[in-house]
Amino acid sequence: MLVDAFLELLNLWVLVAAVVGIASGVIIGAIPGLGPTMAIALLIPVTFSMDSIPAIILLLGVYQGAIFGGSISAVLLNVPGTPSSAATAIDGFAMARRGEGGRALRFALYASVAGNIFSCLVLMALAEPLARFALDFGPAEMALLMLFALLVIVLFGGGSKLDALIMVLVGACAGVVGLDPISGTPRFTFGSFAFDNGFQLIPVLIGLFAMSEVLLQAFDRDHDVSDAEVPPLKASVVRFVELWRMRITLLLSSVIGTFVGILPGIGSTVPAFMSYNLARSRSAAPESFGKGAPEGVAAPEAANNAVTGGALVPTLALGIPGDAVTAVILGAFMLHGLAPGPFLFRDHGLEVYAIFEALLLSSIPTVILGLLFFRVAIHVTRIQPRHLLPAITILAVFGAFSVNNSLFDVWVMLGAGVLGFLFRRSSFPLPPLLIGLILGAPFEQSLRQALLTSGGGYDIFFGSPITIGLAGLIALSLAISLALNLRKARA
Amino acid sequence: MSVKGFGGGLARPGFRTLTTGLLLAAALWALYALDSQIQVFSFGDAGPDARSFPRLVLWLLAAVVALRLVLSLRREDDAFRLRPLGRVLAVVAVTILALWLMPSVGFFAGAAGAGIVVSLVLGERNPLMLGLPLVVAAIVAFGGQHGLNIPLP
Repeated sequence: MLVDAFLELLNLWVLVAAVVGIASGVIIGAIPGLGPTMAIALLIPVTFSMDSIPAIILLLGVYQGAIFGGSISAVLLNVPGTPSSAATAIDGFAMARRGEGGRALRFALYASVAGNIFSCLVLMALAEPLARFALDFGPAEMALLMLFALLVIVLFGGGSKLDALIMVLVGACAGVVGLDPISGTPRFTFGSFAFDNGFQLIPVLIGLFAMSEVLLQAFDRDHDVSDAEVPPLKASVVRFVELWRMRITLLLSSVIGTFVGILPGIGSTVPAFMSYNLARSRSAAPESFGKGAPEGVAAPEAANNAVTGGALVPTLALGIPGDAVTAVILGAFMLHGLAPGPFLFRDHGLEVYAIFEALLLSSIPTVILGLLFFRVAIHVTRIQPRHLLPAITILAVFGAFSVNNSLFDVWVMLGAGVLGFLFRRSSFPLPPLLIGLILGAPFEQSLRQALLTSGGGYDIFFGSPITIGLAGLIALSLAISLALNLRKARA
Repeated sequence: MSVKGFGGGLARPGFRTLTTGLLLAAALWALYALDSQIQVFSFGDAGPDARSFPRLVLWLLAAVVALRLVLSLRREDDAFRLRPLGRVLAVVAVTILALWLMPSVGFFAGAAGAGIVVSLVLGERNPLMLGLPLVVAAIVAFGGQHGLNIPLP
């Protein structure tokens, strides 16, 4: 089957589709606000007249390219093109500021490829059994998993745990705004329909990272109007030995990305931050994180690219999309006569394995196109802040508007920008706020669904092997954090 | 961003004190307004209702922020400086004005205007370079409307 599937790929149109898909994805992903969902939606009409294999390869190339493309603007401009690249911006932008933008982008590229290869191998080997396992996750399991993710961010995110907890709670409070997930009651909407959908992630993200950067630079500008000192561009070479040193980080991040990607509704932002925090807690120099640590770029990139393969597991094997992007991909599969679900592998095994292999092999054009694109993109870091930041302001307004074609989102972006400015000047960490915003609403929904199912009894959280395992992990995290604190206090 | 300067304590509050105080005030106000902002129709369901989670999160937030405020008062804080703060307020004000006017003057004029003021605030005085935001806004507006079919205002 695998050999036959490979023979299906020996077609010029497959190569053209992969290259066009990846290139389009990288470019669209690099534009703030235009994530993989919009990139795929824009290109679906192009595939109407194509054969199924090149058509799906083009769309999956866009998916991969857009996830990676998001990291380019994150590293060079501190404007995450996609939510999942917000974690990459932390150390990537710090590296770019000291003239190592090229190295940061290369670390991001190689880590992305590593994550992608790992998740594709998992997809090929375990798609069917893993999808069945993911089906065992009910509301109680999801609630505990999200609580675990929130705890990891607070306990092992580095810096002050109290500040991280405050930011998680601020994010969770922001997630409350909108319609109640169970009863549909408006909450803190002030009678306005615009608030009913709550705060969209992309405008908040652009405000917190991009607009707040403009405000910070306006605050920090010196009185004289001389050119700001721009660091010289350093060599962009990344040696194999540097990547080899972070092999465990890359592997763990890929595992986190792949397996969290399999679970519906979590997306790629949470595993990116989880991997970032894990890399920092494992690092011999955790204090270098946030100041331009290459591992701080590689870990989230490996994780968010590994999500692509993981998210396809339930989409293809069960017909259950994990998020908006995979829902669009699922639609594209159906459009081309490949109905996702348990019979997909039986009825269209050849096409499916050809697509998996193409996804694996697409790492080669990704590296080539990425390296070509960097040669031009890297010069963005040479532009004076007073020339670059007005452009960022314009892009931020455009990016926030383009999410829902709504000026309300631009107001949200501006509000998030002001808050981001205050939080950054006050040394509050932004990643926990994002995680709180992303996981707050689904956590509440799962919690309440579980309690409704059990008639209000809390024993549902200890009623299955998965919940017991997750509760054990939560207890273990608390114990480890306490032990680390005690050891630090004694030292 | 390091927390340093000459602020600190209640006598000379800095950014951290201000931000923490604002968060505490917001959390307390939200708790006060909770019942009026969230209507609950009880049908006898067991378990938490639409108010339970927000109430829990807000109480937790108020408690940890109050603790942070008490701890922060002993620390040196990032002091307010009026001139730089004026520049920040200018950028925020001009962006608000641009957004306010955007439905009538359009995306291009609003975004370009905001970009030019940001350039001026950041120290640009070269008239040629002040035209750069015009070019960027034109490219973004044209590309967005015609390339991506986004109905910009």
